[in-house]
Amino acid sequence: MVTLTIDGREVQAEEGAMVLDAARDNNIYIPALCSNEAIKPYGACRLCLVEIVTNGKERLVASCLYPVEEGLIVKTNSERVMNNRRTIMELLLARCPSLEVIQDLAKRLAVDKTPFKLEDKRCILCGLCVRACEEVVGVSAISLVNRGIDREMASPFYEFPDACIGCGSCAYVCPVETITLEDVGDTRTITMPNPKMQKTEFKLKKCKICGNYWAPEKQLDYITKTLSLAPEIFDVCPDCRE
Amino acid sequence: MEKYAVFVPKLVTKRENFAPGHRACTGCGEALAVRLACKALGQNVIIVSATGCMEIVSSPLPYTSWRVPWIHTLFENTGAVASGIEAGLKVIVRKGKRPAKEVKVVVMAGDGGTSDIGLQALSGALERGHDFLYVCLDNEAYMNTGIQRSSATPFGASTTTAPAGKMSIGQVTWKKNMPAIAAAHDIPYVATACPSYPFDLMAKVAKGAAIHGPAYVHILSVCPVGWRSAPDLTIRIGRLAVETGIFPLYEMENGKYKLSIDLPQLRPVQDYLKLQGRFRHLSEETIKEIQYRVNKEYAKLMEKVA
Repeated sequence: MVTLTIDGREVQAEEGAMVLDAARDNNIYIPALCSNEAIKPYGACRLCLVEIVTNGKERLVASCLYPVEEGLIVKTNSERVMNNRRTIMELLLARCPSLEVIQDLAKRLAVDKTPFKLEDKRCILCGLCVRACEEVVGVSAISLVNRGIDREMASPFYEFPDACIGCGSCAYVCPVETITLEDVGDTRTITMPNPKMQKTEFKLKKCKICGNYWAPEKQLDYITKTLSLAPEIFDVCPDCRE
Repeated sequence: MEKYAVFVPKLVTKRENFAPGHRACTGCGEALAVRLACKALGQNVIIVSATGCMEIVSSPLPYTSWRVPWIHTLFENTGAVASGIEAGLKVIVRKGKRPAKEVKVVVMAGDGGTSDIGLQALSGALERGHDFLYVCLDNEAYMNTGIQRSSATPFGASTTTAPAGKMSIGQVTWKKNMPAIAAAHDIPYVATACPSYPFDLMAKVAKGAAIHGPAYVHILSVCPVGWRSAPDLTIRIGRLAVETGIFPLYEMENGKYKLSIDLPQLRPVQDYLKLQGRFRHLSEETIKEIQYRVNKEYAKLMEKVA
């Protein structure tokens, strides 16, 4: 265990843990949009900036990527941190003014207007969906493409992503709830925030016994293949399975 | 059918605010519901727990399963205690003794503590519009004292105080529609959930906690001991309760009803009843009667949804 000081409070954290996790375990609020404990930290949203003191010098780091150290002094609400955080929030608000999550978070951080030029994007480029697809599902159907101001989340060549199995991890993990998943009848539609991308639709499998549609066929094929199961195992839904 | 299958569960937080090692029975659906609800609620909560199974199993002196602030209340005053805590928090913030931080008061009570004994305190709290979430964990009888009937026990179920026999079919009254009573208070959010649909449950609890004002979530929790069912069938029985239309999952937001799990067709109630020993004695006629009632209630709900 390592002892560090966050906002004047001495807290204990496991070695190798990040400052963000240590703060959250001790109920110290640090805003963050791009973090999920099942996915490797990435430091994309920059909202979790904190001030640390090393060798008598103060500097700003992303707390989701900074491992705890013995005797580390962390400030989560100093003036410098608050100023930087507010600017980042203003930039996010200028990029995605129509997203509810961003509006709520801005309100919480006392940001009510933004001096920057308004855009109307629906993605904050945190890359959580991309990382979940790669690390948790293991298919890498989507990716962050292009650089600089052209950067966007997209499937290869904006076409229907062949590798996608329609599991919905991206929709679940999206911090701004802009990827949506809807099952209507026998089709599942996943809507991505990139208008250039084709619609992603999946056929759902019908249960042989009860006739309900219960999971995308592609996802079941993927599971049977990766776990080398018998092909007929998913003919019936879990409720009808004996 | 719930949308998320195998991969999404890996993305849910691993932090357990309702610690393992408690004394719930094998296959307890209620402990599962509490665990999922606590995952959804996070740490900034004060849990007010009425007397009942979850209070008994989670807090045998000197142990506790709660990693969040928790207070035990009696059956009858849970709503009142929650109101008091909520009002107290407000006052402390107003006097500047504590920084303004969002701390949610969450009540967890059983069906007896909600629909029988605690009803007037709950009704008062809902009417006064306190900012709290009420989670009712409905296992359809007083299970921890030995399966006595409550007003949430369904028609035809055999309990120790409504036993089935030659002259009786067990419980002779229909289950009290508690979510409808809560909704009649004109509160912003009412929902029904079941731990067999974990993501739906977590989303509803999180939504109820986020809403400003009173919210009510009714969770059907399968009880293998009291329902005389096999402990390994807990999840399946929960799903069947939803798929047969006996316990439809829906939410009511500001007067607008929405069905959470929309099934093209309902299963016959027989599928649900036959897995439980408490319905073992039912004749075909009684089952028909139950089916008729379920269809009628479902149609009523569909009218509200439409």
